[in-house]
Order: sequence, then structure tokens, then C-alpha cells
Amino acid sequence: MRTRPMNSTVADWTEDHVRRLFWRAGFGATPGEAADFAARGREATLAFVLDGPGTGAPMGDLVGTVPTVKGQPLDPINEWGHDALWWLDRMVRTTRPLVEKMTLFWHDHFATASQDTPLMIRQNWLLRSRGLGDFHHLLDGVTRDPAMQLFLSLADSTKDAPNENYARELMELFTLGGGYTETDVREVSRALTGWRTKRSRGGLPSIHWQAGLHDTGSKRIFGRTGRFGTQDVMRLVTQHPRHAPFLVQQLWDFFVTEPLDPATRAALVRTYRGSGLQLKPVVAAILGHDALYARLDAPDQVKAPVVHVAGLLRTTGTPITIDSYTWLLNQMGQMPFAPPSVAGWDWGPSWLSTNAMRARVTLANTLLAWGSAPLKPPAGAGNPAWSAEQHLDAALAAMGRPWLSGGSRAALLGLAAGFYDGAKPRQDRADMLQRLLRHLLISGPDAQLC
Amino acid sequence: MACYDPTLTRRQVLGRGIGLGLTLYASKLLTLDRVLEAAQAQAVPDAPVLVSVFLPGGCDLLGALPPMDQLGKLNDLRRSLAVGDEIPRMPGESRLGVHPALTDGLGGGIAGLFGAGKIGLLPGIDYANPDFSHFHSRHFWERGMVAEAAGPGWMGRWLDRHGSGDNPLQGLSMDSTLSPVLTTAGAPAAAIDDPGDAALSFGGTWGKGADKAAQVWEQLAAVPRAGAGPIAAGRAAALTSQVGRMLSPYASDAKAGTDPLAGPIAYPTGKFAARLRSLAGLIAQPLGIRVATIDAPGDYDTHDDQPTDLDKALRELSQGLSAFQADLEARGVADRVLTFVWSEFGRRPKSNDSVGTDHGTGGIAWVQGTRARGGVLSDVPDLGALGADGNLAVTIDFRRVYASLLEGWMGTDAAEVLPDAATAGRLALVR
Repeated sequence: MRTRPMNSTVADWTEDHVRRLFWRAGFGATPGEAADFAARGREATLAFVLDGPGTGAPMGDLVGTVPTVKGQPLDPINEWGHDALWWLDRMVRTTRPLVEKMTLFWHDHFATASQDTPLMIRQNWLLRSRGLGDFHHLLDGVTRDPAMQLFLSLADSTKDAPNENYARELMELFTLGGGYTETDVREVSRALTGWRTKRSRGGLPSIHWQAGLHDTGSKRIFGRTGRFGTQDVMRLVTQHPRHAPFLVQQLWDFFVTEPLDPATRAALVRTYRGSGLQLKPVVAAILGHDALYARLDAPDQVKAPVVHVAGLLRTTGTPITIDSYTWLLNQMGQMPFAPPSVAGWDWGPSWLSTNAMRARVTLANTLLAWGSAPLKPPAGAGNPAWSAEQHLDAALAAMGRPWLSGGSRAALLGLAAGFYDGAKPRQDRADMLQRLLRHLLISGPDAQLC
Repeated sequence: MACYDPTLTRRQVLGRGIGLGLTLYASKLLTLDRVLEAAQAQAVPDAPVLVSVFLPGGCDLLGALPPMDQLGKLNDLRRSLAVGDEIPRMPGESRLGVHPALTDGLGGGIAGLFGAGKIGLLPGIDYANPDFSHFHSRHFWERGMVAEAAGPGWMGRWLDRHGSGDNPLQGLSMDSTLSPVLTTAGAPAAAIDDPGDAALSFGGTWGKGADKAAQVWEQLAAVPRAGAGPIAAGRAAALTSQVGRMLSPYASDAKAGTDPLAGPIAYPTGKFAARLRSLAGLIAQPLGIRVATIDAPGDYDTHDDQPTDLDKALRELSQGLSAFQADLEARGVADRVLTFVWSEFGRRPKSNDSVGTDHGTGGIAWVQGTRARGGVLSDVPDLGALGADGNLAVTIDFRRVYASLLEGWMGTDAAEVLPDAATAGRLALVR
């Protein structure tokens, strides 16, 4: 694998490297983080991203201003959309962004929707706590998870007429991608029978094992025969030769836009299998791979909507004080806890429909008008005496110094230079220019890329 | 790799707007002289419009249209989903029952439209050796070919061949995201959630400042970019502002209660109906809409609780589509609009123990419109002749329907868009 030697020098590791890593593995870097981790070097930065600060809660602590909506704390269980805000806040304030990014990856991978909020949040914690651990352990938890069982009809699938829904998606979407037959689907669905929903009056559904509903007969799966049950299925699918190549491809595509070459794929598969299906070593290898740092001068991954919003808030140090993010995320095409289907979302350029792009502009309108400091510019943010360069630099500083291409920089400088139409600059016009520059820095084409 | 890659034709590049042309030029898809050719716009008034309505999840043919002449066999297979003899029949087609929810809506819903000769049913639609994966099957239908490779959708390829180069509204998804059916290699297309609120504005600017904002936005969009993500970002910026300008005359005003797109027909509540209503309004305007997509709401993937879920989904569909049809007729544009309703596969004849059905073959589709050929246009699968795996026989291939839509309705050669056009066969779908 084309990874750098561990003793690489500081010269190999710049602020651009840090920004790339922090965006892909999390939700962006503040200017302070970019400078700090560029100085610390590649090895220390990767270790920090993978392992966290080494103190505090294993899943990360939340630092900074606690979110409020209309002055009230969030109520994720009872208020519509507050579940999404609750998770968004974790992305914004966590000391371990990679943990939240992996939780997002798994929420897309094991996409579940339309279940009671407490069950969805319980699943979210399952994905968070096992998302960098042992895949077999994660898959086992997801298979027993009430939200998943109810979503994919595994609950109440019985030996008399097994339900194929979970068996099919388990192999197609969760573990293999291909290499199984319709017979395998039917036989796996038989092996997975026996889970039962129990509903207490006024309470949440829970899942129980009911041995009498399980098909104890012989099944033939992937050419092997046995009286297989749930545990056996977990073992069979994760030991299937298609599993490791499938999963490393999914992880690679989440972090890297460059295609996965065969040699790197083989190396990642060895890492994954050699570690006993541990996820963290695979993620570590991907985050350390040179391909992640290709074209540092021209970022080319389209930010997913939640990454875009969380990144804006995180890199500018802006707390959540409004609930508009819920409908804006919906308009941008990614409502957390509500993926469009079990296949999750379509990532990449598909995020940027005309409607979604307009929603990203509306996001900027909302933040500049109704958000809190520093994204919401105060009166007097502009200075009539500034040059075009000074105007742009002030806007860049206020917005956490987002990446800007040369062409976009030239366009914004042209805007600033011609904004007064040759008239004497006034304070109100300088403020308008400052608002507009800040807007375009977070709404324009460059802002959609990382 | 079975990747169908239509080369750009002169006709295709005619009319490409300069903004889009520059984007394409930056992406090396077009040479400069073709970009300059692209300045000529083409407008085709009164051209036929094809509307795709997708029922996500795999709609159950036997639940939606129970074959009453095979009721005994059906109920042997569907102990938990037995169909009673009392359910409604399709008007004028006594062998076919109809789910009661499909009689709901203006004029008797879908059943009423069938009775009026405005619906041509396509039971048993699928393809040979069908894939039971939602995502594989859906992908095949979206692309118009049974091939795994990624690429533009079948309607998108039609736009690449026959669309204008400067009109994103020619291919319209009534949704927050663009349907994969409509993704193109180069032609512009748009997704719109609410056409009454589509204009682009830059908060905190007004007067000349707002004008300058709009200008610099175009400059930012036109910055040369390379790679799929960056090109998509620039292109989305350009198309979004263009769509906003095109739809600005139709902005609605909630306070004043005005909506320039409002029509004479009252629709049911809900987002699906609201989108159909907007679509009818847009089609009636001179905006050059040629192909449009809309996803039906509800859960057609009825692995469990099928009676509840299918009733709810079909009811909303029937109410919405019957209002849409009445609206198109009332607006005087119905003769140039054909609606094609489809789902990615059918469901298993034998029910499971969760009061549901698993993935199967031989699904359901129909064409709808004043110029649709009414009736039952394909054979209802025989429950006495199920396949070895207990699934329905496929009685018509979706590619045959696509080829027939392209030639019989859009009036263009199917072979330009469908790699299997030569062998797909044809079927009269319109009159």
C-alpha cells in the first residue's frame, strides 16, 4: 500500500493535509486546528483522529455551547426533528468527529427509518459504540436491534412462512453485495426465524426470542448444510469470500474519491481479515493513504448535507440556536433518521440537484439572518475604507477560512472592487458587501466540496 | 462492460446555453465550436410530454388487480390475504378485480379512468430472469437496460438526444433530488420541490447589491472545474439560478393566497397531490417540459401488514392520479400528456406469515391519458403455471414498453436510447 513512512517530516504535512483529513474523517478543521495539527505532523494527527484526545468519554465529549431552540434545550424524543438536531449537535461539538462520521456511515449502510424515536436513538448509540470495533459484533447487534428488526420485518418472521426481507438485505446491502443465490436468500430467511415482537400497552415494542417459532430444520447456505440459526448466519456471511472486498470498498468510497486500485484493495482486505474483522485498522489505512490527499488544491468530494451543515457550524464555532436545520436538511436531501430506503442515500454529485442547491443557498440566507454569531454578521461588519482584498479576507476569517479556488477568489475580488460603482463607499454598502461575501463563501460551488 | 454511451449529435448540442456550454467545455465533453453552435435555442410547442410515476418498493399485482377468474387458486396461495368475491371489478373487464382503494378519487379513481378507456394496464410486466433486489431491478428500469453499470437514465438519454441544451425544465423531477431516470450525460434537467418558491435570493442584499449578487453567482458557477464533484457543483449553481429565473413568474404568495399555477381541480391533501398539482400547472405553461418524474408515496414493499399498507398507498395514488388527469383535461393539455406508472418488480403469489408478500416477478404498470390505449394490454399471469420458484410468469418486458413509448408517444427512434430496441418488440400504447 502506498502509505508514507511513519517518520515522515513536517514538510509532508501541511494545513491543507489537515483540512482534507478533518473534512473527510469528520466535519472540517478550524483555522486553529489546521495550524496546530500541521505542526504536530502526520502521525500524531492521524492518531488523534483515530483515537481521540485520550481523555474523556470513549465516544467523545461535547464541548462548547449547549444547543437551544427558542431558549429551550433540545427534546429529541418528543419534538419533531430534534432527534436530527441532537445528532447534528454531536457532530458539531464532539471531541471525536470520526466516531460521529462512522456513525453516519453506518446509518447509511444499515439504513433504518420510520421507527419510534427512542428505538432509532438506541440504534444510533449501537452504531456509535461499535462503529470502529469488530464488524461481526456490530452486525450481530444490528441484526438483534429492534428498530432494524421492525423495519426489515425480521421480527415475527416464523418457520411456517419466513419473511425474506432481512435475509436479502443482509447479504445484498450489509455484507456481500453479490455472490449468493435465491436459494441462499430463502434458506437464510429460514435460519433467521424465531424473533418475536412484544408490545406492552402504551410502551415501546421490544424483541424476544421464541424458540418455538424458529425453523430448526436443516438448511443449505453457500453450499454448506446444517441446522443453522442466527449466530451461524452471522458467521457464514462474514466469512464469505465476498464480504471483505465488499466492505473495504464501501469504506473506501465513503472517504476517498479516487478509485480503489486492486493492490490497495488486496492490502485492505488483508488488514481487515488479519485483524479478525476489526474496522479501525481498515479506516486507519484509508485515512493514511496518499489517495485521500490527492488534489489538495481542488477538493472534489461533494459534502453530504449533514456534513455541510455540521461543518459550517463546527469550523466557525457557531452553536445550534435555531431548528431550521431540520427542514433545510430535508430540502437538501438528507434528513438524519429518515433515509429514503434501506439502501440509504445516493452520495456524491447526486446531492446537488437544482432543488438541493437552492436549499444550500437558503441555508446561507437562514444562517446569516437568523443564526448566531459568528455566522450571523453584526452591523458594522464591513468597513468602507477596506480594499477588495481586505473585504474578502475579513469574510474568510469570519467563516473559518473555507477553501476557495483561484477562479472564485478572482470573482469575489471583482465583486468587492466594483461593489460601490465608483461612488463613495458607505457603511451600509460595506456591510451589505460583507454579508454577500460571507454568504457566497458558504453557499457557492466551492463550499459544497471538501 | 455493457455500457451504452450515446455520442453527442449535432441536434443534441443545438440550443445548449452558453453557461451550460462552458461547463461542458470545461469538462471536455464538447469542443468549442459546438459550444458556440449551442447558442440557438429550440422550442417545440405542443410537443408530447411523458410523465413517469414510480411506485417504490415493488407493487403487488395480485393485490392491486386480483384475477377474479383465478380466485380459488389465488386464495389457496394467500391464506392470510384472502380476496373476497365481493371486491369491485374493473369496469367492463369482469375477469379482473380491482383493489377498493383504486376506486377512490374523482370519477372513481383508477378504476374510473380504466372504465373511461384512459388506462392501458400492463400486468405481468418485468424482464427475463428477474433480479429480486429492489436496487438492481430499479436500476434496470431507471436505465432502460438490464445492466449493472452506472450511467444516465433512459429519459435522460432521450434528453441528451432530443432535448434542448438550455432548458433545465425539459426534464423535471418533482422532488428534492433528481430521479435517476432523468440523469443525463449533458442535457440540463431540474429537481423542484415547490415551483411557487424556486427563485434564488441572497439574503441581506437588495437593489444593485442583489443584482451584483446574481451576477457574481453566475461567475462562480462558470469557474472552470475538473472532476465529477466540482463539475456538478458548478453546474448545479448555474442551473439553480436559471430555474429560479424561469419560474419567477409563477411564485406563489401564501399571505395574499395567490398561486399562478393553481387550476380548476381540487386535489386531495398531501405532498404527492401537491406535486401533481404543481406539475399539471407547469405543463400547462410554455416552459418546454418534455419528461417529468414523480415518486408515489407509501410503502409498496409490503413484507408485512400488506392490507393496511397497500390500501393506504393505492388510495393516495388513485386520488392523486385521478385529480391529475382531471386537471390536465380541464386545463386543455391532456391530449399531449401520457402518464406511465411503474414499480420495480411484483410480489410473490404465496403470502408469508407476516400478513405480507415477499419479492416476486410479474409486476404492474399502466399508461394513463386521454390518448392512452385503454384496456388490458398484456396477459394476466396464470396462477396455475407458476415458475419453479413459485413466481408469476413474465408476460411483457418493460423494454418493449419503453421502446413503444419512445416511438409511439415521443415519436423518436427507440434505438437511439435503448440498446435492446431491435429485439424488444413493440406494442400499441396510444391511440
